[in-house]
Amino acid sequence: MSTNKSSSYNNRLGLKGWMYAGRYSFERYLYLGHRLSGLGLIAYMVLHIVETANRIRGEEAWAGLMALFASPPFRVIEYLLFVMAIFHALNGVRLILVELGFFLGKPQEPVYPYKSSIMKHRPLTYIIMLLAFVVMVLGSSSLFFE
Amino acid sequence: MRETRLWSLHILVIPIIAVLLGMHFALMHYAPVFYDVSVDEAREFSTMIERGKSMTQFVVYTLLLIAGLYHGLYGLRGILRELPLTPTLVKVVDIGILIFGLMIFALGMYVTWWTFNAPLGG
Repeated sequence: MSTNKSSSYNNRLGLKGWMYAGRYSFERYLYLGHRLSGLGLIAYMVLHIVETANRIRGEEAWAGLMALFASPPFRVIEYLLFVMAIFHALNGVRLILVELGFFLGKPQEPVYPYKSSIMKHRPLTYIIMLLAFVVMVLGSSSLFFE
Repeated sequence: MRETRLWSLHILVIPIIAVLLGMHFALMHYAPVFYDVSVDEAREFSTMIERGKSMTQFVVYTLLLIAGLYHGLYGLRGILRELPLTPTLVKVVDIGILIFGLMIFALGMYVTWWTFNAPLGG
């Protein structure tokens, strides 16, 4: 009886749940960023493979495509891809460390006031995000390469 | 067990992607920093063909293609499988992503192979 009730209760938030379901932590937004950047990167990778296949059409076709990519809007898009790649990679390092149990502290008895393992690895989260920000800023110089 | 193996592979390819994508970035996007060559020069048709004839380049791009596509499409599969899908739709997602990945891999390999064998001068 109770099984039927719980299975009929629709608690799926769907895509909305990615963004907000009340009191999401900083890490939860990093999770959202990781997903969105991952989707952006795989979409770009597929497009990149298709676009580089243009070389088969010869030098002229290739030069035309490269001229298009050298234009300011594409430079900005290229930089955004770089930002996504850096964020995804560094946040991925954090996720692997957490997955392997690093920076979470030792398991403790659940005695009130509870200590969250998230808070224990929060300094690592800040350090990694700061590093990502520095790399993103340094990488922005590519916008000005000639 | 099968899912554990697929997930482990998803994690194991990360170092390969990190190293090879780093090399790709250095070569194509940060050529002025690492090779003292402008980005435009690095992307010239003749430069690209010449570079593509190297066996190292061929191996690097083949591995990057495999690792990148696997990591990315496995991630996409995970996101799609989180949706409330029927078992039939889960199979459609699995097979669809596999076929799509193989098609993109075939295209990428064809282009890499074509570059490896292209006559110098275009």
